[in-house]
Amino acid sequence: MNRGLLRKTIRETRLMILLLAVALFLMEAVLSWILPNFQQQIGQQWLQIEFIQNVISALLGSDLGGQLSPAGFQSIAWVHPVALSLVFTHELVFCSRMPAGEIDRGTIDFLLGLPVSRWQAYFTESIVWLAGGAVIIGCGLLGRLAFQALEPTGEPLEIGRLLIVIANFYLLHCAVGGFSYFVSSLSDRRGRAIGIIFAVVLASFLLQFLTQFWEPARSLAFLGILNYYQPLPILTQGTWPIANMFTLSTVGACFWVAGGMVIARRDIRTV
Amino acid sequence: MSVIVARDLTKFYGTRIGVENLSLEVAEGMIFGFLGPNGAGKTTTIRLLLGFLRADRGEARVLGRDCWRETAEIKARVGYLPGDVRLYPWMTARSGLRIAGAARGLDLAPRGQELIEFLELDPTVSVRDMSRGMRQKLALILTLAHDPDLLILDEPTSGLDPLTQERLYAHLRDCAERGNAVFFSSHVLSEVESLCDRVAILRAGRLVAGESLDSLKERAGRAVTIHFQERPAAYDAPEFLEIGENKNGVWKGSLRAPVNQLLDWLRDKPIADLSIGAPDLETLFRRYYEEDDPSHSPPAAKAGER
Repeated sequence: MNRGLLRKTIRETRLMILLLAVALFLMEAVLSWILPNFQQQIGQQWLQIEFIQNVISALLGSDLGGQLSPAGFQSIAWVHPVALSLVFTHELVFCSRMPAGEIDRGTIDFLLGLPVSRWQAYFTESIVWLAGGAVIIGCGLLGRLAFQALEPTGEPLEIGRLLIVIANFYLLHCAVGGFSYFVSSLSDRRGRAIGIIFAVVLASFLLQFLTQFWEPARSLAFLGILNYYQPLPILTQGTWPIANMFTLSTVGACFWVAGGMVIARRDIRTV
Repeated sequence: MSVIVARDLTKFYGTRIGVENLSLEVAEGMIFGFLGPNGAGKTTTIRLLLGFLRADRGEARVLGRDCWRETAEIKARVGYLPGDVRLYPWMTARSGLRIAGAARGLDLAPRGQELIEFLELDPTVSVRDMSRGMRQKLALILTLAHDPDLLILDEPTSGLDPLTQERLYAHLRDCAERGNAVFFSSHVLSEVESLCDRVAILRAGRLVAGESLDSLKERAGRAVTIHFQERPAAYDAPEFLEIGENKNGVWKGSLRAPVNQLLDWLRDKPIADLSIGAPDLETLFRRYYEEDDPSHSPPAAKAGER
């Protein structure tokens, strides 16, 4: 890790991280208020409708079995498309910076003109990315806990179970980020890298949705990254999704290392 | 001691030649000019020396270290100014010096302040509000602030006003006098002529000349005009004098030998007037640049030995 690059990376990304963290804080706080009320008032009637059941199952990545407990209903807050989009925006914007973004804007010459190896530059960027992800997702948890403390509505969620969801969510962030770094390492154009990452994440989301509605898609479900992030069983049963978390961390680590190897070996030409 | 040693350095971009079989050597305290038209391979060479590109063949060592494997160690002692300077839009001279200082583990503020005053740059203006010349000055400050043993400058004076150019030349001469080496690429002949100890000329990725400026000047030829008293002059021109025009006892041509040789030859000739110009480097460089086939050029496989 290099202190100068660390300072530079924080200087460039702190505003984005802050905005995303505040947005996720508010999002989780608002959902913490809306979801229990929604379930108490009209939720159970809606859940009798098969289509709504399928949509919620698709969001949660788990079969509801016709009923949803209050804790299970609140797990929607952690798979809501807006919540996922906020975290994935962090990956899209942050992980496409090095090297694609730096090459694209021509600043790679300044960056690599400093006495740092490419691995050092990559590692330093990644440290800020990992810390930024922890801040954003942690703020989501804070939003949930703050609202739960201030306005206890419905059944409070067990903090231990929430922390498991957060850990699973963080590893999902790591897997998408690792893949994003890999795509960025192969590209000289940031826009192209972002386009590819966005397409893959969107495809994964659609695949997750499709598996609830279309039987043949179920055999491909394992290909979607969201298949390994299922807060519903965690919040309702308190089980550790060891296999899912292992898969996400392995995918993230493999892509991240592969990205680093590509960066260390490739030619750096400004475009 | 040589600070840059390149042997048979070769880089291809697909089938296109970046540089081919480039060998050069730059010694301590030397100002080395690297010349060539656009696309000749100057920037490719610099990027190979800094480990941005990996050579397909050959090897290069900077400050005794391998350019590809030990690039971080090299850059701790090198100041690099890119040809097309791009800096972060939010960066000011102060924040740039803080970041570069932290990256290098040095306090660059005192030396940076001297350079800010020397180049007359407002340290509070951010890059997004800077003119091209101001950006170039900021990049120069960041390049020079850690007092590097070797400066690698890709067209350093582009965008600078003549006064700042002169200041930079003086600074580079000071650096060389202190034993630091300067390797810079340029299109501007006058700055190469006024600054460099040695020059290398690249064309289409190949080195076509590499020698001291003095020997280049010797070969460059001088514009000569001789007015004979006799009209027309009934002499055969010596072989070291290329006559371009011979009219009414006035010869205009190019001298390809030391001036004394011409003066000796003229001693017993009745001349009315004589003018001898400065070495015509521009014509020589143009000849190097414009020849289609590198094999027609004077042989110069290796540049830079003192």
